[in-house]
Amino acid sequence: MTTGSLLAVDLVIAVLAAAGWLGGGAAAAVGRRRVALAVGAAALAATLARVITTIALARAGWWFAAEKVVIAAPLSLAAVLVAAPWLLRRPVDIRKAAAGLLFAGYAQTSALLVTVLHGYPVSAGAALLAVAGVAAATTVTWRFLGSRPSRGVSRVAAVVTLAALVAGTGLAAAPGDAPGVPHTHQHPDVPTVGEPTKRFTLTAGTAVVRAGGRDVAAWTFNGQVPGPQLTATVGDILEVTLRNRDIGRGVTLHWHGYDVPNSQDGVPGVTQAAVAPGQEFVYRFRADQAGTYWYHTHSASDLGVRMGLYGVLVVHPSPAAGLDVTVPVHTLAGHSLPAPAQQAAGAGTPVRLRLINTDSTTHRYALAGTPFQVVAIDGADLRGPAPLTDTAVLIPAGGRYDLAFTAPAAPVALFVDGRAVWSTGPVSTPTSGWPVLDPLSYGTPAPMPWSRHDQEFALVLDRGLDLRGLLPRYAHTVNGAADPDIAPQVVRRGEIIKFTIVNRSLVVHPWHLHGHHVLVLSRDGRPATGSPLWMDSFDVRPGEVWEVAFRADNPGVWANHCHNLPHADAGMTLHLMYA
Amino acid sequence: MRKAFVIVNGVLLAAFALQFVFAAVGAFTKPAGDGSYTLHSITGMAVIPALSLLTILCAVLARAPGRVVALTVLPLGLVLLQVLIAVLANAFTDASGASTPLGLIVGGLHAVNGIIAVHVVVSVQRAAHELADATGAVPDDARVGESAA
Repeated sequence: MTTGSLLAVDLVIAVLAAAGWLGGGAAAAVGRRRVALAVGAAALAATLARVITTIALARAGWWFAAEKVVIAAPLSLAAVLVAAPWLLRRPVDIRKAAAGLLFAGYAQTSALLVTVLHGYPVSAGAALLAVAGVAAATTVTWRFLGSRPSRGVSRVAAVVTLAALVAGTGLAAAPGDAPGVPHTHQHPDVPTVGEPTKRFTLTAGTAVVRAGGRDVAAWTFNGQVPGPQLTATVGDILEVTLRNRDIGRGVTLHWHGYDVPNSQDGVPGVTQAAVAPGQEFVYRFRADQAGTYWYHTHSASDLGVRMGLYGVLVVHPSPAAGLDVTVPVHTLAGHSLPAPAQQAAGAGTPVRLRLINTDSTTHRYALAGTPFQVVAIDGADLRGPAPLTDTAVLIPAGGRYDLAFTAPAAPVALFVDGRAVWSTGPVSTPTSGWPVLDPLSYGTPAPMPWSRHDQEFALVLDRGLDLRGLLPRYAHTVNGAADPDIAPQVVRRGEIIKFTIVNRSLVVHPWHLHGHHVLVLSRDGRPATGSPLWMDSFDVRPGEVWEVAFRADNPGVWANHCHNLPHADAGMTLHLMYA
Repeated sequence: MRKAFVIVNGVLLAAFALQFVFAAVGAFTKPAGDGSYTLHSITGMAVIPALSLLTILCAVLARAPGRVVALTVLPLGLVLLQVLIAVLANAFTDASGASTPLGLIVGGLHAVNGIIAVHVVVSVQRAAHELADATGAVPDDARVGESAA
């Protein structure tokens, strides 16, 4: 069983245990003896089963089990010690057992709430609030069941409740140690890159475009979705003038996967101010990385990208030969882009398909009718890619894969999630059953560029209640905090930095660090064995642990976030900054 | 206070009814997207839990019998369970984010649990009415209500 399913199973068992104790307690309170004993026994079994799931999770990594061991386990132990004797004793008047069973229910429920609402890391505040909740609910129960224990016990319970509540609230409300990122945009290091050799102008504005055979209201660059493709050759100096005609939320250009100087990175409030309607901003950088990239707005990025503010950036190492096709996949107002295209390719023609996922979720791409190689991922060429047949690739949100093949005489088709998007003729091969390529074991390895790392950061991804804003929200969190309260990662130029990214949540998080490509070291403790993988967007699935490293060689303040953009908006954004 | 109990629980019942409407709004919004269920999510994760807490408070202040108070706590638990079911249903998707049979089965429980929760709120409403009607006839004492139940 994968750690991801283990997390889900553990949650289900915890819910059953809590519901079972509460249900058994309620049945006992109304004198339903058989129901109370049966449901209570089931709850006991579920509570004990959590021992197994918790140990399994702890073996997968302490991050997955911390609060279950430190908070849930003692609460469960108390629950079992109090409630189990009632089940074994089987009292004639079952009503006597009600308070004990309900206590177990409160203990399980509050442990569950700690996991669901707080998660990692374990905090004394959450633990104390959990205890306060259990004690308060138990006291109220005594009152209503009229089964109040001795005065001494009641007093102790009241004091424990109050003390835990006060201390817990104090600890939980205390300001964390997360100083916000200095949201300045004074990076006067605007590099003098020289006289531009390629000039483009992108004008952002609302427009009605055709998608899926319908007219759709969109936000566009130059009136089209996707925006115009920017093509350059290595060594070009690009100058892109961004104008905003009428996008009220502001616009910027972020060069996704292109490691530009910080001042050109296009993150509003960090590297520049958002470009308001009527204003403009000029981006200038040298095209020194070949490969497939894309650009998109980073202002109100979830909405902006979804509405259509994105386009393709392709940098050729030399004048292109053969057929070069870009397939930027996007979902615009529920319609899948691009529209299916058919293109002739004479037998023997070299073809390069540049697959780009501009959505917030993973897509599955399958190329039918020919063997092919994955020659590049996220713009970086792979080493020794072997030919693949009948194999699908999963591209994370924001990611790019370049597929290369020599056109055969028979037709070839590219399917995205089962939909034919590009083809050289009619193909009707079912691709849904194909195995999926694991890039970590594809291609031939090369020696590591470094044998050490200078700093290590853990990023534990989860969900949690964020009470620091104006309105409470159920945020997507990193190390228990949500933007803007996540401590920035401070690095020095020249250091080798290692990230350990852990997904404790139940959804996939496509991780994206700006300004750098990271080298994948391992996944779930197993080292990458294939070609060196330099990625800027990679899916960290539920229960997965990725270790990646990079050299801090691009000074500035860089966004480091989940590229499922609704998640980024809901707190899953932090910053990497140079000291 | 017994009047307030009836009114607040009535509002909770109305919120539940609206919640079904908002679910339908989400299902029929075109194009479907993460935003389709915004109204449903806000009502389910903020409005209904808040009203449930208020109902519990009113029941306690109205000196409702223990059985009725326990009944008012149940919707809150079921609503928390409802959120968990939604999260789990979304968790059981395949690698490219498409739904799986297991995810759909868990998702189906979301509807079942919703129906159960409404039934509980209706029972509370009935009990609250009885409590309010009893006010005129018997002294305002919780013990009386409890022995009657």
